[in-house]
Amino acid sequence: MVTRRDVGKIGIAAGIAGTAGLAPRAAYAADGAATAVEAAKQYAGQTITIVWEAGLQSLDPLNFSGPKWKELTGIDVKVVEVPVAEMFTKIMQDFKSGAGAYDALNVIPSWMPDLANAGALEDLDPFVDKYGYRDELMKIASTYRDNQMKVNGKIYGLPDDGDVFVMYYRTDVLNDPAIQKAYKDKYGADMPVPPTNWKDFDQVGQVITEAGGGKLYGAAFFREPGYGNFMFQERFRNEGGKFFDADTMKATINSDAGVKVFTDWVAENKWAPAGVEQWGFVENLAAFLQGQTAMTISWPPYGRWAASYGTDQEVMSWVPKSTIAGKVGYAMTPGGHPELAAGFCLSVSSTSKNKEAAYLFIQWLNSEATSLERVKLPYALRDPFRDSHFTDAGYAALWPEAKDYLKALQDGANNGLLDLSLLQTDKYEEVLRQSVSKLWAGDDPKAILDAAAAEWDAITEKIGVDKQKAVYADWASKSGAYPKM
Amino acid sequence: MPAIAAHHQPDRNFKYWIIAPAVFLLLLIGLFPLIYSLVVSFMRIDMMDTDTSFAGLYNYKQLFKDSRLWWSLAHTLLITVIALPLELVLGLAMAYLFLEKLPSRQIFISLLVLPTIISPIVAGATWRLLFDNKYGPINQIISWIAGQRVDALWTINPSLVYPAIIFCEIWQWTPFMFLILLAALSNVDKSQTEAAEIDGASFIRTFRYVVLPAIWPVMAIAILIRGLDLFRIFDIIWALTQGGPGTKTETISIYAYVQGFKQFETSYTAAIAFLVIFLLTVVCTWAIRRMGLVK
Repeated sequence: MVTRRDVGKIGIAAGIAGTAGLAPRAAYAADGAATAVEAAKQYAGQTITIVWEAGLQSLDPLNFSGPKWKELTGIDVKVVEVPVAEMFTKIMQDFKSGAGAYDALNVIPSWMPDLANAGALEDLDPFVDKYGYRDELMKIASTYRDNQMKVNGKIYGLPDDGDVFVMYYRTDVLNDPAIQKAYKDKYGADMPVPPTNWKDFDQVGQVITEAGGGKLYGAAFFREPGYGNFMFQERFRNEGGKFFDADTMKATINSDAGVKVFTDWVAENKWAPAGVEQWGFVENLAAFLQGQTAMTISWPPYGRWAASYGTDQEVMSWVPKSTIAGKVGYAMTPGGHPELAAGFCLSVSSTSKNKEAAYLFIQWLNSEATSLERVKLPYALRDPFRDSHFTDAGYAALWPEAKDYLKALQDGANNGLLDLSLLQTDKYEEVLRQSVSKLWAGDDPKAILDAAAAEWDAITEKIGVDKQKAVYADWASKSGAYPKM
Repeated sequence: MPAIAAHHQPDRNFKYWIIAPAVFLLLLIGLFPLIYSLVVSFMRIDMMDTDTSFAGLYNYKQLFKDSRLWWSLAHTLLITVIALPLELVLGLAMAYLFLEKLPSRQIFISLLVLPTIISPIVAGATWRLLFDNKYGPINQIISWIAGQRVDALWTINPSLVYPAIIFCEIWQWTPFMFLILLAALSNVDKSQTEAAEIDGASFIRTFRYVVLPAIWPVMAIAILIRGLDLFRIFDIIWALTQGGPGTKTETISIYAYVQGFKQFETSYTAAIAFLVIFLLTVVCTWAIRRMGLVK
């Protein structure tokens, strides 16, 4: 909300700028949220349409930010809910048809090169400068800011979601003396709590399953292909794998690292709950919250819901009651480099007829003040992504272990691995999704990955080896592309 | 007489003017997309490029090299050749059953027809939940019957996924066959079947030589409609498996969708569409002749 003080600040800044003959940039340098609100008032009565992921994610603009923006500026926000699997398609269809149905967009960062190169996204630099938002943008955690904002040096999206995989483990189970003794008897060493590499993780998981008597399992995972794509990308790189030979652009996902990941997955399924091959977000969540699994890896919301934060709200009634609040530890995923899986940036559609109003809305959403409120919404799925979010005292007081949780997210952001992002990324990811699916059908890991590598090569050939090589080199040069070994 | 002829001349042209808007509209919404798609299939339009230059037969040549395309056609044929006869036989058996006067016959018929009025995508999504390993009742029921826990992965295990798909398809569309065949059987001349019975003809012989010729035109149409439906099957499989595991249940419609709307290979997808049009035209022409639908 804009206070009198905010308005005053803007007024003073504008006065100084006017007398000093500065560009409008300085006039707006005070506060990203207040600036956006003041500037947007000229568009009162208009409607901006924003594409948002269907489901819980959309409750943010539907219940919180949309109505608040309307109250502050008089601009209506129309939310178009689209399942994440169809978002890219819908955005491209709108762009290709020139319909201009969307003004603002939620964009997964790995799609950004494709959308920007196709011309579907508006270059945001002129707006960022015009409204003096650059300084506030720089306060976004460096991983997201440096890697998920620009294409070819231009800003096409405001990083708006600190998606990162976190390892959650049951502190009561992993610290249980009986389980620790069973581990020592079996492996002749103290049980690592929490495990920090995959070998230890698998050993701990197996021991817990053996001790659990069919009621408690060592761990469960996302195994459904859509999620398996992210899990593979993370683990493959933690095992030392590289996606391509940087000189030839030949795919190298069929290397020993890739085969090891697939082989280990099949072995893990034997001590994980039956049918884990089908598990996605909800199945894995339910098992963990109901105390059926001792460890898992997922996005940040699991941690909030496991602590029962916000799950008493009606819109959260589908989340199983947590039986493990106060018994959950947060850690980096084995290998120490978690996947910055998916995430969202806020962009403006190049075919929008309300570009300025759309930009002002996303600047306000993304601003330090508004984003802090948004990441604390119990029903939304936006996760902390600004340095100030990780250190916010209010957030750290939301539940007893929230401070540890924020630290795990910050560590994850600092050490995280970016999703592969090339030209036509989805084609490469689709091959990975198909490969995971084939693995669960019982095909041989090496044969699957050999075929996948051949398909990747064919895609690269079609796009153009040199063209893709340059994009890959740019991506691989980013700090989060590969672990620093 | 000449005066009369002159008076009638404008009438002959006027009738063409009357139907012209309708014909124009039909051509616009029917023929134009077809021609436009054909033109697109000779270009190189994809996600990144809108290259409208002539690409010759490039996309059509690619079709022959694309093993995933031919596998998707094979999967489509497999589903068609299994599901179609089963739906026909079950629909016929049900129609025979309901030919007799049964108590509450109308209510049962209405209930049996219910699956056909459900959207296939909804039916598929519902069956996916029913087949779910963790929450689905199907595995629970099988476990009760078996007396031990059964963890069948219906939408993942390659040996179970086709039975699951075909079961859903039969569940939804057998009632369609049933309704059409019931109508056809109801119109069979009873005096002929009674005469055959009096002459001592077996049920099979009566069906083969009396009933089948009478219901064949209707049955052939039902087979043709369901055959075409099965050839373009999409919704149920998409909801159940999305063509997986891997691409093991990917049909030609799913493959075309993936190429067109997920990979944005617009020109290549147009070429696939024309391959399908060509194949269906050949098969339909052959089937219509073979079934004797056109004398």
